[in-house]
Amino acid sequence: MKISFAKADLPGEGALVVGVFEGRVLTSCAERIDQLTDGQLQRALASGRFTGKRDQTLLLPAPSGLAVQRLLLVGFGKQEKLDSLAAEALGGTILAQLQNAGDQQITVLLDDHEDAPCGGGAGLAASMALGASLRAYRFDKYRTKEKDEDKPSVRKMVFALDRHAKAKSRFSLLEKVVAGVTLTRDLASEPANVIYPESLAAYAKALDEDGIQVEVLGEKQMRKLGMGALLGVGQGSERESRLVVMRWSGAKDAAAAPVAFVGKGVTFDSGGISIKPAAGMEDMKWDMGGAAVVIGLMKALAQRKAKVNAVGVIGLVENMPSGTAQRPGDVVTSMSGQTIEVINTDAEGRLVLADALWYTQERFKPKAMVDLATLTGAIIISLGDHYAGLFANDDLLAEQLTKAGKAVGEQLWRLPLDDPYDKQIKSDIADMKNVGGREGGSITAAMFLKRFVKDSKWAHLDIAGVTWAKKDGPVTPKGATGFGVRLLDRLVADAYED
Amino acid sequence: MVSVCLIAWSPTPTKIDAAVLSVRFAPFTKSPEALAVGLRPGPLLQPRALAAEPLVSRALAGRHSFKAEEEDVLPVLTAEGWLVLVGLDADDEDEGACRWRRIGGALFGELADSGIVRLDVALDLPVQALAEIAFGMSLRSWRAPSLYRSKPDPDEVWTLAEAVFVTEDPASAQSCFDRLAGLAAATALARDLVVAPGNRLTPASFITFLAPLVALGVSITEVKPDELGLLEAVGQGSAIPARLLVLSWQGGQKGAPPMLFVGKGITFDSGGLDIKDEEDMDEMKGDMAGAAAVAGALYAIAARRAAANVVGLLALAENMPSGRAMRPGDVVRSFSGLSVEILDTDAEGRLALADALAYGAKIYQPALMVDLATLTGAVEVTLGRHLAGLFSADDDLAEKLLAAGEDEDEGLWRLPLTDHYDEALKSAIADLRNCQWEEGPDALHAARFLQHFVPAGLPWAHLDIAGVSLLEEDGPLAKEGPTGFGVRLLDRLVARYLER
Repeated sequence: MKISFAKADLPGEGALVVGVFEGRVLTSCAERIDQLTDGQLQRALASGRFTGKRDQTLLLPAPSGLAVQRLLLVGFGKQEKLDSLAAEALGGTILAQLQNAGDQQITVLLDDHEDAPCGGGAGLAASMALGASLRAYRFDKYRTKEKDEDKPSVRKMVFALDRHAKAKSRFSLLEKVVAGVTLTRDLASEPANVIYPESLAAYAKALDEDGIQVEVLGEKQMRKLGMGALLGVGQGSERESRLVVMRWSGAKDAAAAPVAFVGKGVTFDSGGISIKPAAGMEDMKWDMGGAAVVIGLMKALAQRKAKVNAVGVIGLVENMPSGTAQRPGDVVTSMSGQTIEVINTDAEGRLVLADALWYTQERFKPKAMVDLATLTGAIIISLGDHYAGLFANDDLLAEQLTKAGKAVGEQLWRLPLDDPYDKQIKSDIADMKNVGGREGGSITAAMFLKRFVKDSKWAHLDIAGVTWAKKDGPVTPKGATGFGVRLLDRLVADAYED
Repeated sequence: MVSVCLIAWSPTPTKIDAAVLSVRFAPFTKSPEALAVGLRPGPLLQPRALAAEPLVSRALAGRHSFKAEEEDVLPVLTAEGWLVLVGLDADDEDEGACRWRRIGGALFGELADSGIVRLDVALDLPVQALAEIAFGMSLRSWRAPSLYRSKPDPDEVWTLAEAVFVTEDPASAQSCFDRLAGLAAATALARDLVVAPGNRLTPASFITFLAPLVALGVSITEVKPDELGLLEAVGQGSAIPARLLVLSWQGGQKGAPPMLFVGKGITFDSGGLDIKDEEDMDEMKGDMAGAAAVAGALYAIAARRAAANVVGLLALAENMPSGRAMRPGDVVRSFSGLSVEILDTDAEGRLALADALAYGAKIYQPALMVDLATLTGAVEVTLGRHLAGLFSADDDLAEKLLAAGEDEDEGLWRLPLTDHYDEALKSAIADLRNCQWEEGPDALHAARFLQHFVPAGLPWAHLDIAGVSLLEEDGPLAKEGPTGFGVRLLDRLVARYLER
């Protein structure tokens, strides 16, 4: 779907959208339409339940006096509460309402007040466009027989307002982030027979087109580096493991310490010898969600030419049971030299991250390091699908992340990273074991990772509950959400750019 | 109207069994049976330790893990008797009482079974610190009352029975300790309640366990749950009906709105028709730990004659499967008027609390309301056994509770409370349902469920203490078993914010 911005002219076809504030208060452009339709809007408002509450919609087919096929009234809610997140959600709602209606074009007619909370008409238009483009995401690569009437009809969404050029320039920046989110969602949606360490590394490698330096380390190199924790996870699979390093140097000082992002990339997690139950195992294709976010984020940063030095490191493995697989009870030696007793082969993500984190800080000495991982089931029982878990050894970084999350609607909730929990991962025979029991399961996983962080400012995001949506949200269709790309892009913009 | 009947109560105050350790403050006496002296890392000897210098040096010459750090304790048998080396941290900058308590706890824990009967503690510390160490020893010295055995088991009795703290100023040390002794007794009461078996401690007999509170001037009233539909439903499967106990301490200004504490008191939780797994079901006798904490807090507040008005509400019921038990799918009208579909009869605590909260808010018009409950298994998954979950829409109250928790070593961690979770609580036929079947953040759902029964604007906090009410291994201030979590926290909340 193509997004464009144009003068506030009335379209000759398709669907027209105008906003109504709470309490049945028409926006100026809605008033204009009301006059053109001989009071049809007011009549429609007088008789129905539509009051203009946010996200309410009222569809009026074949409006008389207009050339369009459909008129959609959208509740904008209270004017003072129409911030950019609300505007994004409205954009998503409008698209969802109309994308299968049969029209090829949607025109959203907007007032251009200076004082809207989301930055005037231009800000409103740009945010709505962002929401609509995020919501328009589909992954239908593998549908071969979908009927035309089941596919979205909309090809073009036009935001019509006076200062359309300003809106367009605002959106051009947001659009870059959408490209990152889209890539992340694609990668998470791809099945595990298509996405495996080598092929995912190839996707990452393709970022060199955007000006990102990409290195791919194979098993031989990792063995040389002593990454026994990561390699142990991949040893049951026919597929070779990979470690990918992506570097974007956008800061004035090319030698300045980078901010680093580390992603868990278990391309399929069967659980290994500690195999998972059959039900829902297909979801484990997106156990590389953290790595997918890092790839999408690097793309977004490069596309918008972020003035920052950023490093993305992803550990890619497939966790499979086989004659060569890692066994419960095995002891592996990580790159840091610390030994780990693998009690449960299904707590593999932390093993991958242990080496990826260590490698990242040893090689890059980052000024801050954030890892993302679909790490624990416990986080779903802790925070559900509304918040990702945030663990940090630095209060400022935690605050910056929380703030960035609030700003883009990817919310984090901080959980403790306290020494008493460390006891739970004591091993009888090695430096530590890889599981700490059911109680505080996400915390003990984070405590495990902490043992592989020296003095870096570090945060860990447990995104197991937010990576895949079971139902449609305002700006995320059911499926891969891409949670993390916008959040970290915002973090970089707010706190790490020149 | 809800009928309220005052129990004719003849107070027969029983001594709380758990004041196991007798504590005294006295000047130095010669040749004690066992003498505890203080060392700082280095190890630097405190003045009284210096007196035993040759012995200490000899003891420390051996290879062992004693580093004179906080909570390190090393008993050494000498010709003159036991010399107990007590590690103190390098500096006294940390003014918090908790470090002293932990030292006391460690000291008691190390010597409890040592054969030592009387310990003379000769630490050269300010009287307040000595009192806190004594308090830590008292807390750690609790053990389950012997009344459930036919005769005391000699192996189940601590040998250490008396601690004499050496000080030049016994009177002021004693007065520092007096307030803490009340708090230790209050904690012991709460722990006694949690270990009491489900056939002894029932909704009906609960009141008899509270005799020590009556002796201190707490009034106790029983409320029959005629209109407390949810509470009644939880108890309807049991032969013993549910009820509310109202504990009231009026030490503050007459008519001033009280602080209201509400405790979940499921005296036994079998799960009801959605019966629990047999494994560890015996622990469900402790599903009244919230009510126990509230009772303990009222004891502590009354023991020190606090200048505050505090009301405790104990929502008591036994959750049993039977021919008249509540069924999954039942719809029940709550005290607040909201109807609730009971999806899972084992999500009963929130039902009992919902009515107690609505009732308490209406009848007592409190200044603020805090409830404590062993509410969800989910909170254990989230926070494990070190921190309790704190839910509140009121930032100010949340901050106060977090601070009180930190002061008292009863740590809280704030978790989200938002209307986002209403979707999980949507019922197909009633105003609300009590949980969802799908896997999800049940502790958050439960908290949001409760919020529907709290009037908007009333500062309220919910503490999910399911992970912290029992210790699986010995801790610094309690042996394996009940912790009495919440007693010190609530007492501190009252002391700091209500008494002026």
